[in-house]
Amino acid sequence: MTTENDAERKKNRYHFDRHTPEYRHQFADVTAEMLDKCPVAWSDTYGGHWVAAGHGEVFELARSAEYLSNDHDPAHERRGYKGISIPTPDVGFRGGFLEMDPPEQRHYRQLLNPYLSPAAVARWTPLVDELVRASLNEKIESGRIDFVDDLANIVPAVLTLGMLGVPLVNWDIYVEPVHASVYTPPNSPDQARIMASRIAMRDDMMAQLAEIRANPRPGLIDALARAEINGTVPPDFELLGVISLLIGGGFDTTTALTSRSLEWLAEHPSERERLSRNRGTLLDSATEEFLRYFTPAPGDGRTVSADCVIAGQEFKEGERVWLSWAMSNRDPEVFPNPNEVELDRTGNRHHSFGLGIHRCIGSNVARMVFKRMVTAVLDRMPDYVCDPAGAEHYQTIGIIQGMKHLPATFTPGPRTGDGLDETIARMQVLVDEQRLAEPVTVRKGAATVK
Amino acid sequence: MKVRVDPERCQGHTLCSMIAPALFTLDDEDGHSTAIDGEVPADQESKAAEAIRSCPEQAISVIP
Repeated sequence: MTTENDAERKKNRYHFDRHTPEYRHQFADVTAEMLDKCPVAWSDTYGGHWVAAGHGEVFELARSAEYLSNDHDPAHERRGYKGISIPTPDVGFRGGFLEMDPPEQRHYRQLLNPYLSPAAVARWTPLVDELVRASLNEKIESGRIDFVDDLANIVPAVLTLGMLGVPLVNWDIYVEPVHASVYTPPNSPDQARIMASRIAMRDDMMAQLAEIRANPRPGLIDALARAEINGTVPPDFELLGVISLLIGGGFDTTTALTSRSLEWLAEHPSERERLSRNRGTLLDSATEEFLRYFTPAPGDGRTVSADCVIAGQEFKEGERVWLSWAMSNRDPEVFPNPNEVELDRTGNRHHSFGLGIHRCIGSNVARMVFKRMVTAVLDRMPDYVCDPAGAEHYQTIGIIQGMKHLPATFTPGPRTGDGLDETIARMQVLVDEQRLAEPVTVRKGAATVK
Repeated sequence: MKVRVDPERCQGHTLCSMIAPALFTLDDEDGHSTAIDGEVPADQESKAAEAIRSCPEQAISVIP
C-alpha cells in the first residue's frame, strides 16, 4: 500500500530544476504557478525532493527543526543525511553549523553571536565607511566603475576577514575563489584555475588557524580555536568548515544584493532620487524590500528526520526538502504586488535570511555594509548610468542570485583622502590597536578612525 | 496596549527595533529582542502594529 500512499502524498508534482538558465528566465512565472497550484510539490529532479514555495508553508517548515534536519554526514557516522545543498556536492565535508543540528549548532551560534550581533557589528561601521570611501576613490576621477569588481566584491570581503582575525591585505586570496566558484558552471574550462585559487584559499585558512592558535589575536577564528563544543574540542576540518561558511556567507551574498539593487536603482532614476532624498525614513524599508525582491541566497535544503505532517503535507523520514526563500518572498498572500519593488513596503516578513534557529548569523553585517555602500554611491556618483551591454548576471540562480559585472559611468568627481591599499593598511593598524575583532562582551565602543 | 516578544520564537531578525526603536531593545550578545515594560505610548501604537506585522517569526503579540 506504500505505493498508493506515495502516489497520494506526492499528488502535487512539479518538475523543479533551479540550476538551469531557464529557471532564472522564467522565475516569476514558475513562482506564480507553484504558489497558485502547489505551494508544496514533489519534484523528480536530483533523486526526487520536495519543494516548498508558499510563504505559510515555508514558514511552518523552516521553524520545525525537530522534524527537519540540517545535518550533513558524509562519513555516515549518524544517518548519512546530506545537508543543505540539493544536489549534494561531491566534496565530502560539512559546511559548518549550517549543516548541523542542535545541540552542536546552538553551541557554535552562542560562541559566535557576540561577534555578529547588532551591537557587535555597529562597532565596525567607521571602518566600513573608510573602505567604501577608498574603493570609490580609485574610480571617482575616471567616471567609470564596475560596481561588482571595484566595490561590492571588496568591502564585504575585507570586513569579513577583519572579523575573522585574518590580515586584511589577504582579501584578494579569498575574494576570487568564493565569487568564481558560485558562478562558474562545473564543465567550464576555467575550473582548473578556480580550483587552484580555492586550494590557495584553503591553505591560507589553515595557516591562519594554526597561527592564531600559536599566537592568539582576537576574532571569530580565535573563538573557534579555543572552542569546546558539547564538551569536546572539534577537529580542525570541522573548524575549517565553519570558517568556510562564514566566508561564503559573508562575501558573495552582500555583493549580490548590492549589485542587483544598484542596477535596479539605475533603471528607476526617480526612485533612486526619492531614496537618496528620503534616506532617513526610507533606507531601512528599501533595504528590506531589496532583500525580499532579490533574495541573494534563494533557499536551503533539509532532510526529514521523522515521519510528520507539516503545513498539511505528509513527509517521510529521509526525504529531502528544498525551502525556497526566493519563491516564498513573492507570495501575494503576504506581499501585495509581489513582483514590484516598493521601497516603502510595510509588513515585509521576507525570508531572505532564513527563519528559525538557522537565521543567517551575518544578517546584521549584510544590512550595515549594504547601506553604507549604497548611500556612498548615491552621494558620490548620484547620476551613475549602468551599461546594459557590460552588465553580466550569473547564468543560473540556484546558489546565489548575483552578478559577475556591473559597469557604470558617472560624472567624475574629486578623490577624498587616500586610496584602497593605503586605507587597508591603516585599517589593519586600527583593527590591531583597538582590538576591534574582540567579541562585544569584551569590547563595546565603535572604532575610532583618525 | 502592551506588547510582548516571545523569547522562544524570537531569532534576532531585528526588524522590530528598526521599526520601533522606542519599544524594543536588542540584546548586545545575540540581538534577540525584548519589549519595553508598560503601556505603549499612544503615538507609538501604529509602530507597534507595524513591528508585529513585520516580524518574520511572528514572535510579537499584544497583551491586554
